[in-house]
Amino acid sequence: MKYKGRTVFSSVVITTVFVGLGVRLAFLHLRPSPEIMARIETARRLEQETRGPRGRILDRNGNMLAVDIAAKHVCADPKFIQQNGDIRAVCDALSSQLSMDRNVIWAMLNQPDRQYVRIQKFMREETIQPLRAMNLKGLVFEDVPIRDYPKGVLGAHVIGYANYEGVGSAGIEQRMNSVMQGVAGLRISQKDGRRREIYGTRTVNIEPQPGADVYLTIDQQIQHFAEKALDNLLAKYHPKAAWAIVQNVRTGEILAMASLPTFNLNRFSTAPAEWMRNRAINYTYEPGSTMKAMVIASALDCGAVRTTDIFDCENGAWFYGGTTLHDSHPYGRLTVADIIKKSSNIGAAKVALQMGNAKVYQSLRAFGFGDSTGLELPGEDAGILWKPDRWSKISITHIAMGHEVLVTSMQMLSAIGAIANDGVRMRPLIIRKVVNSKGETVLSPQPQVLGRPIRPETSKQMRRLMARVTQPGGTGTQAALPGYLVAGKTGTAQKVNLEHGGYYHDKFMASFVGFLPVENPAISIIVVADEPQQGGYYGGTVCAPFFREIADQTVRYLRIPPEGFTTEYVTDIENSGSGEESISD
Amino acid sequence: MQRTISVLIAAVLILATIGLVMLFSASMVRGDADFHDTGYFIKKQGIWMLLSLIVAISCTRLDMRWLRIAALPTAGICVLLLILVFVPGIGVKTNGSWRWLQLGPLRLQPSEFAKISIILAFAWWISRRRRYMHTFKRGLLPPLVALGLFAMLLIVEPDFGTTVLVGLVTMGLLYIGGARPRHLLGFAGAGVGALAVLLTHNANRMDRFLAFFHPEENAQGAAWQLINGLIAFASGGAHGTGLGNSIQKYHYLPEAHTDFILPIIGEEFGLVATLVVLILFVVIFICGLRIAGRASDDFGRFTALGITLMITLQAMINLAVVTGCVPTKGIALPFISYGGSSLLVSSAMVGLLVNVAHTALDPKVKTRTALFKDRIRTA
Repeated sequence: MKYKGRTVFSSVVITTVFVGLGVRLAFLHLRPSPEIMARIETARRLEQETRGPRGRILDRNGNMLAVDIAAKHVCADPKFIQQNGDIRAVCDALSSQLSMDRNVIWAMLNQPDRQYVRIQKFMREETIQPLRAMNLKGLVFEDVPIRDYPKGVLGAHVIGYANYEGVGSAGIEQRMNSVMQGVAGLRISQKDGRRREIYGTRTVNIEPQPGADVYLTIDQQIQHFAEKALDNLLAKYHPKAAWAIVQNVRTGEILAMASLPTFNLNRFSTAPAEWMRNRAINYTYEPGSTMKAMVIASALDCGAVRTTDIFDCENGAWFYGGTTLHDSHPYGRLTVADIIKKSSNIGAAKVALQMGNAKVYQSLRAFGFGDSTGLELPGEDAGILWKPDRWSKISITHIAMGHEVLVTSMQMLSAIGAIANDGVRMRPLIIRKVVNSKGETVLSPQPQVLGRPIRPETSKQMRRLMARVTQPGGTGTQAALPGYLVAGKTGTAQKVNLEHGGYYHDKFMASFVGFLPVENPAISIIVVADEPQQGGYYGGTVCAPFFREIADQTVRYLRIPPEGFTTEYVTDIENSGSGEESISD
Repeated sequence: MQRTISVLIAAVLILATIGLVMLFSASMVRGDADFHDTGYFIKKQGIWMLLSLIVAISCTRLDMRWLRIAALPTAGICVLLLILVFVPGIGVKTNGSWRWLQLGPLRLQPSEFAKISIILAFAWWISRRRRYMHTFKRGLLPPLVALGLFAMLLIVEPDFGTTVLVGLVTMGLLYIGGARPRHLLGFAGAGVGALAVLLTHNANRMDRFLAFFHPEENAQGAAWQLINGLIAFASGGAHGTGLGNSIQKYHYLPEAHTDFILPIIGEEFGLVATLVVLILFVVIFICGLRIAGRASDDFGRFTALGITLMITLQAMINLAVVTGCVPTKGIALPFISYGGSSLLVSSAMVGLLVNVAHTALDPKVKTRTALFKDRIRTA
């Protein structure tokens, strides 16, 4: 019978297929291919590096400058909201609470196929508190640490910032990133098809170690003085930029380092690169007359000149080596002491010539020029000091007045600090100590001597010579502080015209660098203004008053005692009344 | 015969029980992720199961003679439903296919109901024209035209898996019913050609088809599901990882609760469980054949045959898909996969199978309804 035969045939076919499938199943279960076996492990394995809280940054007295706080990502499940909630209500609440465009939120929520959208990242707890209180269904608040800079703008360039992945990207945050990150933990578990950890599958869980706290040498109070003074400078002279450093003369510790324009660390991502530049350490410029202090100090130290030696300053114009050197105010004969006080270019040039190329180069190297100071901050520039074999015949005269040499303000302050500190050049320190999470101090940089460019006796001489700069008849009278003797040196340099060569006649770098008290120096300060726009351009006019402002507040804050200092010798030959310095060109 | 019925019912109940337990296990993750409720799918399926039980019992008590009369109108209604699927408002489009009808809280899948109605229609035709089945015009052409109509409606939904399944089952019925193999082969060839054309015109389906031949290269894409199914079998080994311990259900297998539930069974209970499932379907197959062989009339016989083929071939295709023997197409594992319409129709089919068996048990008293009527008549 046809029916039966065909039924049997069909059932044999079907049974055979079933048997085949059974065999196939057996193989899949018991003898899977190596690729599949390999996939079981690799596809599911989840190795997560976990991070403990990032270390804090504090000032020298333990005031917090950077700290991790808990923030939230505001996330939503659009599918859930569409199915179980009122998308309109959620949308309204979000747009009003997060002050976001309603249409943007609507577009994010109106994706019924998606189960996860991030509405807003890194929201602070207090901002989203009202939103949480509404108890809207379908909203998720993801915990996430966020770096908070409680002082905002204060010390921005020194502190730097950590990016949203928690990696330090500027300043101390960058330099000390490894110690502040701590030791990463490890988590091994399994992940699901959406790459999230499956609960309860964790096999290895090594807890991360929290990062260490970094104490800076910065004092937030002095930092504030410096930033305030720069604000005032900016308001009065409108330079393109201005910066200042305050340093402890004896230890080399940086007490303040400020640079304008600046930015709020909590909104670093919106700041232009120009604002984030720490000009105190990475802006190189021809310093101008401030360089004379080092040249004359070296000349005195090696015995090339004595303070009382008299140089003919050629009445303001000296033809030498094919070009003419100028003083902005004509002087006749000046002692070495007065060359500093009056800041005579011609005088400084002649002093340098007295020393010779090799000696000048050697001493300036000893003062640290042409080399970075070793400050623990990223991006420090080394400046440029050419070797004498690349100098022209007149280079030495230019270098003596602070041209043909590029320096950073940090180098300049460090060199002046050496003059103040009995001829001992200290390494600038920015980190006071590093304390790990157990409270142990793991790193405490000690004051470090970088060199001795001059002898202590020379230092003493130079301190007194430089003190005369701020005394009547000097170029830096506006830096004088009642009750203290202030040593300093003004600098006003024409800027190099990079486009057409030569120098601008209307663009200046104004600076004032100095220290106090003169007999027992405690702090040194440098104030620099880039292209003051109006009201003056001399270092003595633009920067000296703000040097005094910082010094005034700092000595009182640090209770540095005034001293009874009397001028030991006066070597004025002619008492020129003009207190203005010369512009070297 | 009574034993065959008992074995059949036992096999189906065991499958349904395994299905319910494994569905809960397999659907928890998905339910939690999509609906914030681990029991979302199992609750719905539980309700469907109760409903299916009622329908199955009802089907055992239907008068087969009425069913025979209703076969053609039912097929007509099914065609209408399959068209209604495309009417916006009633039809619901999900994942790019028009497969569902929304009737209040119920969401029905007409293609499932088409499966049962096409069996009835074919059984009705073959039982009437058995003598002419070897001829083309009088025997074979009308059912082939009907099949073509159904297949077209299913293809445009598109529901590729059901189309292939219905095609295979009806071919089997016509073959056993006496049609000439060369007629059938000719038609099957035409069908395969048509499918090939459709395949090459749909990039998505073509991807899946090609991915089947190079699964490793497409592990992140079209072959993702297949590879992860194989991983599930492999990690299950002989005895499985234990109930609830499947990892693959954590979003590795997006269809863990529907088409790819067998790999989850394999992962949690190993080869033992997958073989049990396979054997249970073979048991159903044997029982179905026995019932068909003893049926009192041709309509019952071919109904029983069609149902048997439908359930076993569906299981077979599903198994072949998840074990990577044929390219992936959407087809559920009867009694186990999530899906109300599918469960309801499968249960109804089992009910009808038992019904046919009852008539075989006592050819004179064809059904309980008939018995009741006879009693009234004698009274």
